[in-house]
Order: sequence, then structure tokens, then C-alpha cells
Amino acid sequence: MTGRVFRPASLAELWPLLADGARPMAGGTDLLVAARRHGPCDVALLEGIPGLGGVDIENGHVRLGAMATHADLVRHPLVRRYLPVLAKALAVLGSPLVRNMGTIGGNIVTASPAGDTLPPLYALNAQVEFSSREGARLAPIWELILGPGRTALTPEQIVTAVRIPFPSEGLLHHFEKVGRRDALAISVASLAAIIALDDDGRVVQARIAVGSVAPTVVRCHEAQACLLGRRLDREALAEAGDHIRRVVTPIDDVRATAAYRRKVAGNLLLRLTGR
Amino acid sequence: MSGRTEISFRLNGRQVRLQTDPTRRAIDVLREDLGLTAAKEACGTGECGACAVLVDGRAKLSCLMLAAQLDGRELLTAEGLGTPESPHPLQEAFAVHGAVQCGYCTPGMTITASELLARDPSPDRDAVREAMSGNLCRCTGYVKIVDAVMAAAAAMRGEKP
Amino acid sequence: MTTTSPPRADALAKATGREHYSADMTPPGCLFAGVKRAGIPSGLIKAVHMRSARAVPGVVAVLTRSDVPGSNRQGIVHKDQPVLCGRLVRHCGDPVALVVAKSRKALAEALSLVHADIEPTPGVFDPLSALGPDAPLVHPGREGGNLLSRGLMEKGDALSALKTCEAVVSGRFETPMQEHAFLEPPNGLARMTPSGVLDMTVSTQAPFRDRFEIAHALGLDARRIRVRAPYLGGGFGGKDGATVQCLLALAALRVPGRWIKMVWSRGETFLAGYKRHAAMVDVCLGADANGVLRALTCFMHFDAGPYAHLSTEIMALGMEHAGGPYRIPYTRIEGVCAHTNNPVGGAFRGFGVLQANFAMERSMDFLAARLGRDPGELRRLNALRPGETNAVGVTVEQGTDVAACLDAAMAHPFWTMRETWKKQAPPFVRRGVGITAMHNAMGYGRGLPDHAAAKLELTRQGTFRIYNSVPDMGQGNASAFVTLAATALSQPPEAFALIQPDTAICPPAGSSSASRTTYTFGNALLGACRAMADKLKARASLVLLCDEPDRLELVHGAVSDPATGGSVPLAALGGFLSRDDRMCVDQFIMPVVQNPPDTGREFRFGFPHRFYSSGACLCGIEADELTGRVRLRVCLITTACGRVLSRVGVEQQLQGAAAQGLGLALFEDLAVENGYIRAKDLSTYLIPTALDLPDIVCLALDDDEPSGPMGLKGVGEVGIHGPGPAVAQALEDAVGLVATRLPITPEEVLTALEGEKA
Repeated sequence: MTGRVFRPASLAELWPLLADGARPMAGGTDLLVAARRHGPCDVALLEGIPGLGGVDIENGHVRLGAMATHADLVRHPLVRRYLPVLAKALAVLGSPLVRNMGTIGGNIVTASPAGDTLPPLYALNAQVEFSSREGARLAPIWELILGPGRTALTPEQIVTAVRIPFPSEGLLHHFEKVGRRDALAISVASLAAIIALDDDGRVVQARIAVGSVAPTVVRCHEAQACLLGRRLDREALAEAGDHIRRVVTPIDDVRATAAYRRKVAGNLLLRLTGR
Repeated sequence: MSGRTEISFRLNGRQVRLQTDPTRRAIDVLREDLGLTAAKEACGTGECGACAVLVDGRAKLSCLMLAAQLDGRELLTAEGLGTPESPHPLQEAFAVHGAVQCGYCTPGMTITASELLARDPSPDRDAVREAMSGNLCRCTGYVKIVDAVMAAAAAMRGEKP
Repeated sequence: MTTTSPPRADALAKATGREHYSADMTPPGCLFAGVKRAGIPSGLIKAVHMRSARAVPGVVAVLTRSDVPGSNRQGIVHKDQPVLCGRLVRHCGDPVALVVAKSRKALAEALSLVHADIEPTPGVFDPLSALGPDAPLVHPGREGGNLLSRGLMEKGDALSALKTCEAVVSGRFETPMQEHAFLEPPNGLARMTPSGVLDMTVSTQAPFRDRFEIAHALGLDARRIRVRAPYLGGGFGGKDGATVQCLLALAALRVPGRWIKMVWSRGETFLAGYKRHAAMVDVCLGADANGVLRALTCFMHFDAGPYAHLSTEIMALGMEHAGGPYRIPYTRIEGVCAHTNNPVGGAFRGFGVLQANFAMERSMDFLAARLGRDPGELRRLNALRPGETNAVGVTVEQGTDVAACLDAAMAHPFWTMRETWKKQAPPFVRRGVGITAMHNAMGYGRGLPDHAAAKLELTRQGTFRIYNSVPDMGQGNASAFVTLAATALSQPPEAFALIQPDTAICPPAGSSSASRTTYTFGNALLGACRAMADKLKARASLVLLCDEPDRLELVHGAVSDPATGGSVPLAALGGFLSRDDRMCVDQFIMPVVQNPPDTGREFRFGFPHRFYSSGACLCGIEADELTGRVRLRVCLITTACGRVLSRVGVEQQLQGAAAQGLGLALFEDLAVENGYIRAKDLSTYLIPTALDLPDIVCLALDDDEPSGPMGLKGVGEVGIHGPGPAVAQALEDAVGLVATRLPITPEEVLTALEGEKA
């Protein structure tokens, strides 16, 4: 299924392998499935390189190592406390077995329109740290993911971490994934929302991102704007939902129709009614 | 690395050294080189869980792992969990609670369940369902599988049935 | 509180991973065989290019139609399916070339290099079009064109009777193809031995019949074919009928002396495996103003795919069940099976009954709505009682009936408290409850003897060996046989070893299918046990100098004389009897309907049936108003299936069957379009996970089938029918959706909710 496999013990050992055409492999849950369809390729395992995992807090950011598995992250106290919207998404990604293997870096690089970690990362204003022989750079996640299965990374760059600006506490974090069944399901529409309310229950700030309804995650600026100053009542959320429907570009596929996806994408905000 | 390489890992409590093509899938190494056929290939794409084995205590899909990734690890397969003469409480519970019908999903189920119980010795039924949600079964409808895991958990906590 | 039972005989070996399925058997040095498949639904094969495939190192043979001896036609009743296609391709999974290689890697490489030049030809993809005047012919030159079979079953003059009914409802109901999705894919091993015996191990439901299917296909002598059937990792009908068998036999024939192994990948199983038939059923149901049923007309269209498999028999069984477990004086039930270029329709648990049940149960719901009657009460009113005739004129046998099943379901708190439950729905969730009834005949029906023979051996050590002739695909029949024999011979279960089916040493039996396995083989086994008990007592009487063997008793490990206190260990008897004398063989053929009604004459095999299990199903669902997602929260199945030998065993069957029924109701859709399966892997064809099913509650009512082994009846299929129509009824209750097709999609639910608002 693969051509050759390499186990670099450091980033320094990795770069020449990538230069020679090897593909970096994290959990393998996407790459090895794709390899069955597309034929063998040389693979460079990332799991032997120290320093790519873990969760840390560093000056105002939560840093998630790219090789941190979904299972590690979903149970991590820092993720649960500061990034609940991401924890909620991780809890419904794939299956428990997939979560033991898949990584957040891998989910980003796979760049599926239905990637479950992506709407939360967009809503969290995540920055992606990517590295190469030349060193490490940062880019906002929405600049890194270009389209279905496409990122701005060159074959000689890997994602090394995700940096998330420290969100204020006391925010409302919401995530919902819609699949055709309740586990092992590819999302047909998903919503990540982080909302700040004042003491009156009115929206001070809203960040809303939807997934599986466009080539990449959509940040819904009009929907966010229309909620400002309002309570999360049915009317406001329905209006915001209409805004969402206007900016998404879903497709028909074997899992769902575009019409269904569009309808549901707008409906999902209503789940927040009365919060 | 290609051609044949030596990989060395602990398997069911013993150290194992093998010469193999490191690009082979872990499931093939287990089933073909080591004669351990409990891990089954029912889909080959990570969608069913029948190939689950414990790697350093985590349940993983051996059909989506390369032999090279076994090196230095600690592996436990269903054969290592227990034997017919001395079954693991999970295996015993599956047998007496009617959780085994065709049995093809059973080894994978017990592997996943053993990780659950190591982390959470007192799950409720919903937590069990959630933990088993990546292991497909076509025979049972899952009800007795949940029964069995709950019973095994009680037995492992030392409670009388 | 869950019940436990002594573990099934196979359970620990399976749980500890020691049980070897056919897929686990890889003899050292075996070769690997694989198939190149057409990939298009209809076409003319111009050429098969094999040169580069043959040149791959490690490839031993690349075979095409010209390498197939004999008829090149497999099939269960009709032999119409090529082992390798020569000229015509009739569905995407049709096999075009067979490769044998020394490694799976070489096999894969060679298969990728086999190139078939197939000129696409127009195909036909639904039964109505297939039977139209200008339809492309799936089998050109075939008498009858695309019409495989048709039939009629009737009682009285239903068309006239409908005209006098005060309430008539009608509808068109559709159920799709369904994938078995057993976890162990079709696979097997074959070796042509130097003595000319073809030795095979196959994951198969019908080892004895397989020999004949292979022999006819390849011009071999069935007596020189040995088939062994280890425990299957699931079957559900999908391994009833040759899957790998003829291909493997061909490989073994052309590459003799070596073991050859074939395992279908999951993708290949989707592409080439049999499917439940898609069906379209038109119903007209008439009743009086009180809801008493009076007349039924029903037209069933079955999509057979290109090859007959068991299509006619499936249609016949569907038609036989089209009236449901209800009393209907006048019926006219017609059916047609049409050939198309869709995937091949074959046996699947529920065998035509599921399709008929969905249509009839939905029709009952239409009637209930028309008359303002409670759906449970309407069914109860019309429930068939023993002694009455069913919709095709057969008298219902004595025993617990469907009325009792409905009563039990309607007495359950799930039903009595349903309004309270519905009112407690969380925000954005609508709850609904549905109740339906079902029945399912057991066995092959008239025409084909529903037969099994059982061999029981006393070993030299005084234990027993049961030669099981009907494969255990997970239904636990092997274990049931141990229980039956242990009870009959008063021995502990540990005294029994099981030999899984082997045509060389087990006497013949019909397939593991049709809810008949435990009944038919069980009866044969009990006959062998009676013979064994008589023999043991008679032989022991010689040792005990007892002149009345009838007074002797079998006890654990011995035969004892209560009058004298003497006993003979079974080990002693085993030690001194010759091998022939230690064997007992008996057989059983399921009793058939006497004086069958004068209808359904077209059906040589499979009509009518005599014994039925019945049941009722209650489903409580939640529909999400924002997403249209439907979740099954409550499920109850009541059943009457004769005496319950093992409560756990019955629950296993009901829960598993209900899970498959629920999958078809909500998730499972192959999305076949113009002959192509769009949902062709487990990430798009969705079977229920542990999070998609509730605790399914099962109630097996007290019942007794006197003709059954220890009073039992088949229960393997009846549970699958409930969830489809019960979920549909529950959704109508919850959101007003009137579903007439399965699976029911979230999109339809959302549309219904919007319709409510409008």
C-alpha cells in the first residue's frame, strides 16, 4: 500500500525526506485510506519526532501540538476549560478508535470541507504554525486552507502546531455536527459558535463558522453582525440563520442534497434559543 | 527504510522480533506472520473496528497502521487478553451475556471495551455505547454487548453479579 | 437486570479470538485468486487484454471464459449466471477474468493490469421499464424477455368485493435494495487434490447444495467435491448461493495441487455481492366502516437484477405474506420479477416478506387514518386466529397468534404511557410512536423438501460428537443443537463436541436459511438422539443383565438401572462398541400444507407454507425539528415462536433482526443509479452503530409448536419487519410525514415539518 516508510527522529531528518517526495504521515487515518485508492507513495512517519504533541499555554495562546491526537485533546483539561467548542467537536469526530489515531494537524492538512475540527478552529481565530527547513511561520487557518483537500503548504512543509488566542472565559461555546447517523459519520452540516453575552443576555460578540456547506469553512460575518445587541431569541437566531443560508454554497452528494444542507445550516443556530 | 527491516515490540506480554517489510499493514503482520487472527479485516478503511488492537494501551485500527509503527510499542490483541481456559472478565461476560453471535466483531469489541474500563471503571450504559460506537456489529443490535461490558465492569470492580 | 445463560458452545472461542473462520485460514504456500469485474452495467466484451498481467512476477494464471469447462452457468434454481462472462456483461459486478498469483501483492498488481474492452450497451434499471415494449433485453433471445416470472394468488373475487367496501385506501410503496454487510466478506479456499477430489472450505450457508452448483457450472462430478463450512462471520442470506465457490473451483481446476484462497474486499462485496430485491408494491385495501378488512388487491414488482438467483421464490414468499397476519376474505395478489442491469437480487433475511410487510402495514395505517381508528386496535380487530384461513387460503396452525403479540405490545408501558412520553419531548424534538404487526413463515414451503439429516456419535471416551450439517452463521444453531442433545440424552453440555458442516462426513441437509435451521436439523438430531438413547440402553442392558431396557435411564456419563442401582459408564460402552455401532443417523422433513389452496400454481417451489412465527413491533422515535434527523429511542418486539429453548437466543435474533430493519428504515441506501452503486463502502452505506439503537426489549410469549424440536419454531427473520413500517407510522404521528418509501430521509422529515407550518 505504501512505497517506502521512513521514521525520522527529528525535524532535521525529516526535511530531506520530504524533499525527496515522501509524504508526511500523522495518524494515518486519512493518508492510508487514500493510498488504497491512489497507489503507493513514500511515507515519513511523524510520530518519532519529539516536540510535536502536547498542549501548552504560552503568552496568551493555547498551543496544540500538531501530533496531539483527538483523543488526547478531547480529554485534556486545558482544552476542556479554554476551548470547549473544540472539545465538543472532537467528541463527535469519527469514532473512538479514529480519535485514538487521528491528529489535529492531520485534520487540518486533509482539509476536508467536512473536517470536524475546522469550524471550531475558524471560530477560535486559530493560527497554524507550519515549519520547513527554513524555520517556522504562522498563518491564520483561513489562509492556510484553500479548498477541498488543498492547503497552502508546499510538500516540504508540515503543520507543527495550532495556536489559539486565549479566549475570554464565560463565553458561550456551541458546536453541533449533523451526520446521517450518530457515530462514524461524515458531517453534512456543522456549526461552531462562540458568543459573548452581557449581563442582560445580549450579544456583545459572536463568532460563527459553518462546515460541510462550502469548499471550506465559512465564517458568517453578516450572521454575526445581525446578532449584536440582541438576545438569543428565536427571531434573532432565525434572522441570523437566513444570513447563513445566503453565504453557503453546498453541493449535492451521496450523503445529502445541497438544499438540505442549506436548510439545516441556517436552522442550527436555533438550537441556542433561550441561552 | 524498505525491503525487510527488523521491528521489535512487545506482543501479548512477550518480546517479539521480526524481519518484515515495514510498509506492510500491522494487521497483516499479526494475522500472517504471527498467526494471530483475532484482529479481523472487515473493511480495510477504518470504518468498522474489527481490526482493533491495543497499542500502548490505546485501541487502534491495525488496518490503518504500518508495521514500522509497531516498533518499540506494547501490543495487546484479543488472544492476549485471555484464553478459553482463563478468559478475561470481558471475554467471559461477552460469552455468558449473549453478546457473541457470529463473533466476528467480538475481538475488536473486547479490545475497545478494555481500554474504556481501564480509563473509566464505572461507565453507564450511554458511556459504553459511546465508547463502542466505532465498532460495528451486524448481528446483535448492540444491546447484549452493552450488557456484557456493564457486567464485566462490575466484575472487575469486585462486585458480585 | 440482564439474564445470562450458559455460554454458547462457540462463544468463548470466538471471544478469545481462537475460533478460525474461513477468512482466517491461510495454508502455508497457498495461492491467491481475485476477479476482474466489468465495472459497467451493460456491455459487449470485445477483448480482454491479459498480456501485461500475465507478465507480473508471481502470477500463475489469468483465466477468462474460454478457460471455463462445463456450462459456465451457476445458479440455485435457474442456472443463468456466468462464472466468467464471455460475451455479455449484465451488471457492474459481472466477472470478466480470474487471476491466480503467489502473493496478494502480485494479485493486486496483475488485476490492475487486466484490461477488458467492453462496449457499453443500453441497459435497463427498473422493473417497469424493463417490462416495457422497447426495453433493452438483459438476456437477448430469452423467451419472456426481461420477465423472469409472474404469479397470482387469489381468494374469491377481490375486484368485485372492493367495489362494495365502505372504505378503500390505496398506495404505492417502495423498499430499496439492501446490503447484507456481514463483517466477514465472502471468501474460501479450494484445492484440487491428486486423487481428483476438489477440497473446499467456504464461508457458505449451503455447503451441500454448493457442490451441485459448482458441478453444474464447471462440468464436474458433485460427489468428488468436498465443502467444509466453518462458523461464518455473518450470512443473513448473502452467502446462500455461490459467491466465491465456482470461481475458486475454476482456479483449483486450472492450477491443481495447490491451495488457492479468495477473499473479497469490502468494495468487491458491495460491487458483486447479492442484494435484497428492491420492490414496488401497489396496494388497494378495502374494509367496512368499522375497519373489518374485506378485500385486498396487491401488485408486487421485484427488481431481480440480471440473474434469477432466488427471485421467483422471494416474490412467491412476499406474495404469500402480502395480506399480513390479517383476516381478509377476498384477495388478489399478483407479482412480477423483472430482469434489469442493477445488482443481483438474492436471499436476504426476510426474503420478500419485508417488502410485502412494509406495504401492507402502511396500508393498514392509511386505513386507520381514514377511519379515525387507533392503528393498534385496527390491527387487533383483524388479527388472524388459529383455524382461520390466511390471505392465500391456508389455514392458520394452532398456537399463540398475532393477536396475542399485539395484546402484549399494547399492554406494555411503552404503549400505555405513550402520550405522556410524547409530551415530555425535549426542545426542538418531536416524539411519535408506531405499532405494527408481522408474521414470517418458516421453511421452504411445498415443492422442495425442507430436509436435514443429523449424525450423532458416541466417542470411545463416552462423550458425544454432533455432526452439524447446517452452517452456523451466528444464529447459534450449533449451540442450540448441543442444548437439544444434552437435554434429550440427559448429559451435561460439556459432553458434546460439534463438528461443523463437512460434506464428506456429515449427512446432507438443506441450507442455513429460511428460519428453518434449528427446527429441521433439530428434529433430525432429536431423532438421532432417540435412536442413540435406545441403543445405549439396549447395549447397557447386556452388561447390566437387564431384560427390560426401557426401565434403564441415562444419567450423566452413564446408563443406570434404578431397580438395581447398577450402572455402566458411557466410556465403557464407547470402548466396546464398534465405530459403526457408535453412530446414529436420522433425518427430518418439515411437514407441509395438506390440501394446498388452488392458487399460486406458477410457483413450483416455495408455496405454500405451513408454520409461521408472528410478532408485533412498537417503535418510539424522536425527530429533530432543526435537522430532520430521526432517532429510535424505544423499541419493543413481541413474538410467538413456539417454545423458547433459550431466551437469550431468541432475544439475540430479535434484536439483531430489528437492528437491520431499523438500518433499512433510516440509514441504509445503496443509492443505485443507472446500475451504479453510489454508496459503495461502509462510510457511505451506513449500518447502525451502537449510538443509533436503543435497548431493544423483547418479549417471547408462551407458545408451543408440537412438530418442532422441544416445541420451538424459527425466529430468525420475523424481527426484521417491524421497524420499517413502525418508524414510518411513528413519524406520521410525530411530524405528519406520510412515508411510502424506505429509507426515510431527514430531508423528507424537514419538508413535512415545513408543511405543518404552512
